[in-house]
Amino acid sequence: MRNQTAAMTGELVDPHGSKNQSPFLQSFWRQKYLYLMVLPGFLIVLIFAYFPMYGVLIAFKDYNVAKGIWGSEWVGFKYFHEFINNPIAVRTVKNTLILGVYSLFFGFPAPIVLALLLNEIRVLAFKKFVQTVSYFPHFISTVIIVGMLKEFTSLDGMFNTIACWFGKEPVNFITESQYFRTLFVGSGIWQGIGWGTILYLAALSNADPTLYDVASMDGANRWQKMKHISLPAIMPTTIILFILSIGGILGTDFMKVMLMYNPGTYETADVIGTYVYRVGLEGGRFEYSAAVGLMLSVVSFLFVLATNRLSRKFSETSLW
Amino acid sequence: MGFKHSLGSRLFDVFNYGLMLLLIIITVYPLLHVISISLSHADFIALGQVSFFPKGFNIKGYQIIFEKRLLYTSYANTIMYATVGTLLTLLLTSLMAYPLTVSKFRIKKPITIFLAVTMFFSGGMIPTYLLMKELHLLNTFWVMVLPGCISAYNVIIFRTFFQNIPSELRESAYMDGANDLTVLFRIYLPLSKALLATFALFTIVGHWNEWFSALIYLRDENRYPLQMFLRSIIFTQQGYGSSEQATEMIQNRQINPKNIQMAAVVITMAPILCIYPFVQKYFVKGVMVGSIKG
Repeated sequence: MRNQTAAMTGELVDPHGSKNQSPFLQSFWRQKYLYLMVLPGFLIVLIFAYFPMYGVLIAFKDYNVAKGIWGSEWVGFKYFHEFINNPIAVRTVKNTLILGVYSLFFGFPAPIVLALLLNEIRVLAFKKFVQTVSYFPHFISTVIIVGMLKEFTSLDGMFNTIACWFGKEPVNFITESQYFRTLFVGSGIWQGIGWGTILYLAALSNADPTLYDVASMDGANRWQKMKHISLPAIMPTTIILFILSIGGILGTDFMKVMLMYNPGTYETADVIGTYVYRVGLEGGRFEYSAAVGLMLSVVSFLFVLATNRLSRKFSETSLW
Repeated sequence: MGFKHSLGSRLFDVFNYGLMLLLIIITVYPLLHVISISLSHADFIALGQVSFFPKGFNIKGYQIIFEKRLLYTSYANTIMYATVGTLLTLLLTSLMAYPLTVSKFRIKKPITIFLAVTMFFSGGMIPTYLLMKELHLLNTFWVMVLPGCISAYNVIIFRTFFQNIPSELRESAYMDGANDLTVLFRIYLPLSKALLATFALFTIVGHWNEWFSALIYLRDENRYPLQMFLRSIIFTQQGYGSSEQATEMIQNRQINPKNIQMAAVVITMAPILCIYPFVQKYFVKGVMVGSIKG
């Protein structure tokens, strides 16, 4: 009825609208479907994302199931002190940082180089084929990746066959802590290099083709065109992705580490995530491991904040 | 290309094509190697002589895997988790994203902030585990499906996509007496098929490859997804050698444990490998949609 009159008087029909300040209840009733639609998602986020944020309070408590989270005794920063004074725990911080930096240093440039090289391929069918093949590893599960890695690095695996050609004694690479970082970062690049090119290739395809033609007429060679046309074309994408990856430097894929490591390689492989899992879920020390996890979240968040500030300073783009 | 290519340019091409071929080999070789190991004779595997192609045909690894009851339950479980999880993800994400495109929606801003916060903060592994325990969700079907079905990131992408649908369509539907639910299901979703297909694919692959939440939250191996089955085969002694027959075959050198392990890898990877060439372009589209700033 309301809609009809509105239509007749030529007003814009909008069941959510309120021309004159209507009371909250009235607008609520008009938008009842919208509220209804948001409700299931809201509840799920509230329960599975917000309740654990409240639950992190146990990091400051002597958690007692019977008393509940709120009722348990406060202990202040006890677990944080314990963490800082534990050399094994501090080792995990060091390993997390090193692994993050290595992944960034070697893993970040790899797709850029590949994208620039792919861009130089003139036979489009071949380019397409390389892309299709190189994207595939992205869809392989971590369990399979590590399973293959284990097979390749085993005593009778391919890595040792190659090492044999150079007269090296066979080594079970995956059980030696000095090879862990190389294997972790290397397999990460194997899995991600192709998929990582997608955004760069999109940026390259947006570069004006006449620029290349004009440059050729002026006698520019391939290298010069790559340097002066292609590289600037992917610069904005590169900056954004670089900032994002610095922000994620502490977010090691600890699940992959969990499949790869063993007590013999903890020296280099044990990261914060795996430590939290071992001590918390396997060892049952919930409060302490929650405290460790909380520290990681806080530092990660500071990283994101800092990098966002950096990006605002150096480019027009920031995450918010 | 009317320009003459210089010698340097041609040399570069040779080098570049060579490099791309090398990349293809490096990418494809591990996959071929896995398949050939699974099919090779035990002795050749032990000598490290298997590379691109199987040596001495042997399908006993597959036989042992196919005799494991857990293969079938875990396969069925993964299909269930993927189906229900994907439907829930698409449904709830659409439902939540649509109201955020209605500019007059009263709580649009609070909801957006409510979602955005979860992109930067999380309770972490331990409090989440304790919550699941508290809610009696441990070792249930729902723990594999519900917690991950809404993500702020997805809602924002859906919202951005919906915003590109002209609002005149919505307004004219209101004129015809439609409510918002009808508008979403009759107008918006049919216009978003590409988006839905892309996200369905990503969610399915995500469920297919999921193992960690099963490790934390599930106790009963009858509820395990496929990747947990694979994990037990690859990483534990009892995984591949559990049956007496298998142990005996390994001792008689009729079969190498790697036959069984790599057969399991092939069986797990096969469905993704088979559909991949056909749906590859949707995945690429998905990345492009996702890169649009929300």
